[in-house]
Amino acid sequence: MNRTAWKLTETQMREWLQGLVDAGSSVVAPVEEDGLTLFSPIAAAQPAHLEASGKTQWSPKEFLFPRSEALYRYSLKGDTVEIRDPEVAETQQVLFGIRCCDAAGLMRLDEIFLSGTKDPLYAARRAATTVVTAACAAADAECFCTAVGGSPVATEGSDAQLVPLADGWMLRVLTDKGEALVGEASGSWTEAAPDDIARIDGLEKIVTEQITRNPIQREWSRVLEEGFENASWDQLAQHCLGCSICAYVCPSCSCFDMNHEADAWCGEQCRSWDACTFGLFTHHASGHNPRSTRQQRYRQRVLHKFSFAGEGEDHFRCVGCGRCIALCPAGLDIGEIVTAAATAIQEEGADAAR
Amino acid sequence: MSNVATNAVPRTGAAAVPDGWQPHIVALVCNWCSYAGADMAGTTRLQYPANVRMVRFPCTGRMSPLMILRAFEQGADGVLVSGCHPGDCHYVQGNLVARRRFTIFRSLLDFLGVDLRRLHFAWVSAAEGHKWAKVVSQVTASVSEVGPLPRFSSADAWDGLDMPAVEGTGPGELSVADLEALQTNVRRAAAELLTTDRVQKVVGYRAGSMSGRMVPVMVTTAADTSQLEWGDGCVNNLAAFATTALETAANVALVVKTCDLGAVTGLIREGQIDRDRVRLIGVQCPGVLHGDELADKCRSCSGAPHPICDLVVTVDGVRESCAEPDEGSAATEDARDAQIAHLETLPPDERWQFWQRQFGRCLRCYACRAACPLCYCSSCISEKHRPQWIPTAIDNRGNGAWNVIRAIHLAGRCSGCDECARACPANIRLDLINRKLALEVERQYGSAGLDPNQKTALIDFRMEDAEEFIL
Repeated sequence: MNRTAWKLTETQMREWLQGLVDAGSSVVAPVEEDGLTLFSPIAAAQPAHLEASGKTQWSPKEFLFPRSEALYRYSLKGDTVEIRDPEVAETQQVLFGIRCCDAAGLMRLDEIFLSGTKDPLYAARRAATTVVTAACAAADAECFCTAVGGSPVATEGSDAQLVPLADGWMLRVLTDKGEALVGEASGSWTEAAPDDIARIDGLEKIVTEQITRNPIQREWSRVLEEGFENASWDQLAQHCLGCSICAYVCPSCSCFDMNHEADAWCGEQCRSWDACTFGLFTHHASGHNPRSTRQQRYRQRVLHKFSFAGEGEDHFRCVGCGRCIALCPAGLDIGEIVTAAATAIQEEGADAAR
Repeated sequence: MSNVATNAVPRTGAAAVPDGWQPHIVALVCNWCSYAGADMAGTTRLQYPANVRMVRFPCTGRMSPLMILRAFEQGADGVLVSGCHPGDCHYVQGNLVARRRFTIFRSLLDFLGVDLRRLHFAWVSAAEGHKWAKVVSQVTASVSEVGPLPRFSSADAWDGLDMPAVEGTGPGELSVADLEALQTNVRRAAAELLTTDRVQKVVGYRAGSMSGRMVPVMVTTAADTSQLEWGDGCVNNLAAFATTALETAANVALVVKTCDLGAVTGLIREGQIDRDRVRLIGVQCPGVLHGDELADKCRSCSGAPHPICDLVVTVDGVRESCAEPDEGSAATEDARDAQIAHLETLPPDERWQFWQRQFGRCLRCYACRAACPLCYCSSCISEKHRPQWIPTAIDNRGNGAWNVIRAIHLAGRCSGCDECARACPANIRLDLINRKLALEVERQYGSAGLDPNQKTALIDFRMEDAEEFIL
């Protein structure tokens, strides 16, 4: 479907953003806090930190899949128990200026939370959310979206997309939700010229050239699974320290744990983020742990990103934002590791065939 | 997000106190003295404010800072801890150990912005009914004066603090030739240890995939020592890998900077590694980078390798050393002390804001714990759930509890290597918290330094320890 693309000056873009805030939506945009760039709801357009390139410290997934949320609450009054459902999101939410890798990450979350039995809390939030991505004009050192089948100008998961131009932005509208978000604001805007539209391909080319990390081969999904017991895993992940930075900053990691938080009178069933790199993640009540070493746990993470797929899914779960590489305290590089593992497994296979 | 604490009155800064507000105060009391003392006050029919709810413990030594924290989390506006007079402990020394612990914990809560008028300690014996009534009146008046506990959340509109810049230039730049010489010498030292079979494994640094960043590597053959690198990207404290490395090798060498040595000492002191199975390769350090800048911890460091290392690597070569640990002490100056001093001049409300904003960012990824060489417990307090001491919810309340408890578990033990702060993806200034506690411990009880035979402060006590804050 062909929709309009607009050319906006920086001022017009910010006026539009201010309009979205004024209209009563919860607008989430990158802001600076104590030296970090983070997504946060904004009360005005001014603090939004919108640049042609660069990422936030972690992904915007917490605005659809919060770090912690109550699934139900209860209180005891005398002999009766009062159970309350959690509030379902009703306020419209705009994720403004998320990168294309982040938007792809949200699509991966959809596969988990919206397929089969839908998660009602997530579904309500997702339905009330409009995504405005910002394409990248340059790659960060850790970026590798193009190595996993993504693109710095990908439209997957975007309702509208800002494309950085030499002088301002191009806004391309991609869905009805995006159309609705633009609404009346486009009255004073001019349509984008063919030159501006050509910029999309230009950016993709520039950024692709900047990304020097090894492409992850699609067939490695099968290779990795077949090489589950390969000896190389032990050595490749031996420096994993067992924290969960990788999972918590990841746009597509979706694991959670449920705990009961309560005192004598009231409490809640609380769902919080969890990660496969933690020892307790698979710890059985019996005391047995099927993934008893850090290496086994790290392998699980790699396989879940690159190998295990749901029915009908034909893509990696890793979207190539590279945050886990930049932030890993032990300097583990998932791209390097998956390449090394696949290579080792293939070599082992070749040796066996000889 | 938790609705568990029903008593906490929402409040930030110096907001108005609600009409008719009365403080909730939790008293943690020792069964053998203060509890009986309170009973005595009752049987003597003494009148005192009814704001205190008592929790009975076998001893003040049994009271973990967790319990004080829990009281605040659950909505207490003030906490009173009361036990036996020094020398009267039913278990001989429980209250003496507790006294040190509370002294340090009190200074931590103060640093984090808890007004000290909320937190009180007293010695009340079984015979001191009158003292109990007096203490409770005093504590109630004090908590009433300071008002409801501020909210565990970060204020939306808060401009942040202007922290003083960290001064100091660090070790001074080494030339490219010097760094190359150091790298060659590190490889030489490692190869020497491996070929002579003094160790079977060397934990060092190799080049990582991110430009300038070195990552940990374990090398087992002399040929592989060509992977070893040295430079300002060698940020990790490799002591964190010592126990793992020792699982599969009889003897292991660690490449260490001087700032890593405290952690090695700590592991030896606490019986986690055997000094005889570890060789330390101490290398002259150019200072490490945090982002694009010299890390704060390096600004007051000379970078010189420490003589307690077995092998000392400088630009000039490799020499055997292994001085006695008491021959050298850890550096006591730190460039960040100015920032700590600045925070301490602020009113508690501002410090509370400062820390609440940071704790609000915490993801509970536990990278601080993972990167810390001295966080080696096989089961961490955050994983205990019977009872659940640290709330699992990833919000200010749970995050605050986690960061406070981790800090107090490291008080007197933390070696200041800053790995937690480096690893933290949320830029929480864990370095300031740890440094503050280290300063406080040293000021009160002295430092254990790099001598593994020296006890750390919080597992030790003296009859004459200071207690000017105890009622």
